[in-house]
Amino acid sequence: MSANVGNREGKLERFSYDDEIVRYFVIATLIWGAVAMLLGVTIAFQLADWRVNLGLPWTTFGRLRPLHTNAAIFAFCGNAIFAGIYYSHQRLLKARLFNDLLSKVHFWGWQLIIIAAALTLPFGITTGKEYAELEWPIDIAITLIWVVFAVNFFGTIIRRRERHIYVAIWFYIATIITVAVLHIINSLEIPVSLGKSYSIYAGVQDALVQWWYGHNAVAFFLTTPFLGLMYYFVPKAANRPVYSYRLSIIHFWSLVFIYIWAGPHHLLYTTLPEWAQTLGMAFSVALWAPSWGGMINGLLTLRGVWDKVRTDPVLKFMALALTFYGMSTFEGPLLSIKSVNAIAHFTDWIPGHVHSGTIGWNYLIVSGILYFLVPKLWNSKIYSIALANAQFWLATIGLVLYIISMWVAGITQSLMWRAIDETGKLVYPNFIETVVKIVPMYWVRAVGGTLVLISFLIMIYNLYKTAKAGVPAADPVFEAHALDSSSEEPNATPHRKLEGWPMIFAVMSLVAILVGSAIEIVPAVLSNKYIVKMDVVKPYTPLELLGRDIYIREGCYLCHSQTVRPMSHEVLRYGKPSEAAEFVYDHPFQWGSKRTGPDLARLGAKYSNMWHYRHMWDPREVTQGSIMPRYTWLFDQKTQYNTLPKKMEVMKTLGVPYTQAEIDGSIAHAEAQAITIKDNLVETGAPAEALNKEIIPLIAYLQRIGVDYGKSEATPAATPEATPEVK
Amino acid sequence: MKQAALSHFDMPWLPISGLIIFVVCFGVYTYWTYKKENKELYDHAAMIPLQETPNERGN
Repeated sequence: MSANVGNREGKLERFSYDDEIVRYFVIATLIWGAVAMLLGVTIAFQLADWRVNLGLPWTTFGRLRPLHTNAAIFAFCGNAIFAGIYYSHQRLLKARLFNDLLSKVHFWGWQLIIIAAALTLPFGITTGKEYAELEWPIDIAITLIWVVFAVNFFGTIIRRRERHIYVAIWFYIATIITVAVLHIINSLEIPVSLGKSYSIYAGVQDALVQWWYGHNAVAFFLTTPFLGLMYYFVPKAANRPVYSYRLSIIHFWSLVFIYIWAGPHHLLYTTLPEWAQTLGMAFSVALWAPSWGGMINGLLTLRGVWDKVRTDPVLKFMALALTFYGMSTFEGPLLSIKSVNAIAHFTDWIPGHVHSGTIGWNYLIVSGILYFLVPKLWNSKIYSIALANAQFWLATIGLVLYIISMWVAGITQSLMWRAIDETGKLVYPNFIETVVKIVPMYWVRAVGGTLVLISFLIMIYNLYKTAKAGVPAADPVFEAHALDSSSEEPNATPHRKLEGWPMIFAVMSLVAILVGSAIEIVPAVLSNKYIVKMDVVKPYTPLELLGRDIYIREGCYLCHSQTVRPMSHEVLRYGKPSEAAEFVYDHPFQWGSKRTGPDLARLGAKYSNMWHYRHMWDPREVTQGSIMPRYTWLFDQKTQYNTLPKKMEVMKTLGVPYTQAEIDGSIAHAEAQAITIKDNLVETGAPAEALNKEIIPLIAYLQRIGVDYGKSEATPAATPEATPEVK
Repeated sequence: MKQAALSHFDMPWLPISGLIIFVVCFGVYTYWTYKKENKELYDHAAMIPLQETPNERGN
């Protein structure tokens, strides 16, 4: 048997690579990377000092934070992935990309999607689902462009001149297949208008689907494609084969199979079924093995060239990236252990962990790849090794400041939340006490983030000068043997054959990710047996529905959770633990993932209307030391009552039991409820002009959250086993 | 703990099936991968990035 790396007898063919498209994606990576990090630094300073929100709707934390995450993940990392994949894919297969036009459609389509995100998210056009905030027209565009990418990618495989499909390409295949599945399933929504839709899932189901997507966006957008790039670029940069190709095979299948199960670790102690939580935790812990297998494989590839790591920027960044990959993939499973999660969840420890991955792994390995690519693509040499070194140390120091400050902030705040004295009372009953304590750490984080941004700008300058000193190389022409019968391996083992059948391989990858997905999601989504409905829980009134949409638009879920975990300190602070049945009308769910401010699951009827009115005008009027921005535009913008019938029609389609009479009378009902709230506000000193402003529906919604069950005498729902009649 | 974790779940065959599929697949591909006679194949495969265009002839 022969691996057919060379020594074949088939027809010799001439071909060239399309490196122009790689250059395009490299430039886009640098531009969007700077934008993403600038946004990140901006929102970091906003958390340190609320005045940095600038008092404008489109510059407020709740609107910029989704823009930051989308820019970092899909714009910066996305373009980097495409650059690296298109460069390595052609060379590993000895074939030009399938179609130059498709490559260009892919590039410009992706950039337009990013611009569309930048033009919608700051204006509050959002689905309200973390990392999947883009509205349905953009979702469709993403799907179409992803198909273009897939056709171009698999078309290139079909035209290849190398029989064996190298392991890097396996990771790319898994990425393309899984991202498509995740995006389509999580984005199922019914449009209300061009810029508004409701998720078809509600409450617990929505939470499970969303975090199955959210976690696997990390897995299959920020991990597998970069591991594929690692398996190509680290050996290339080190000029030696990967430490263990066999380990890479074990790494691939184990990672792809196990990762997909881990999503529920984002929902520990919630009303998600216990078995799903336990499965998520168990598989998250199991992820240690393949993650570290990959990290070790990458680092050991550098054996024998450690002296070069000291001097070569490419290897230096890659070695550090792999080290951070190892650290963050150690920390992730650790955080998914329930007892650790009980402390860490909802705190700043989580963004600290996330950034050790996105900055430490993604940004640093992209830096290594770019320092490898740009000199080759522009036929030049790295402009300044000293600048690359400066970037390396600034990024490292900035990231360490970021991570440590978030560890300190997260653990400090969590211990303060849960502190109970000998009389059984909370030691820090006012949430704001726990916020003020960690603000100094927010400043440290902002400084650390600034250093990372500066390091990135240095790289842009260094690579710009590198490219400017050279010229884009004309596509050289190569020769290689066509893939004919002389490359076949009749006696190969089944897995060996599988490695040469891209479509079968893609199907196998799909099966690997669908096994975990189906086992976790299908029972939870299709079976409503886990949710014992409660009669006390009613659909939102029309005005409350409008208020909920404003809550989603302003990104309140990014700082406030809406789920009380069954822990003594949470019950003492907030009230009854949440029940799954409370969220059956929540399209989408709004549990959040972070408590920069307190949980709101039991907010309804806790304060007066006037308290909310003043709080939204200036949070510091009612909560001294608050870091929440002002929402003054809610007092100027008119309520859009005319959107109500359509919204309620869609909700009815989704299963919310609105009658036709309620839909027809929705505007009148909402206006009547608004007058009640306005009258109450006027009585306590608010101006009458508030009546038609958005602050009214928002107050209506805030006063409703968690009231039905939280303020009722209803007891926690019985388990299905104990209740014969399950709805 | 076990009882609490499974108290709402009446389809234990689902995760057990997943576990069996994973263990079987893991065993099979580990066996294939580490078979002695495959060593040469994978050693060659590992060299692909370093021998991208063995007959390349730049213009």
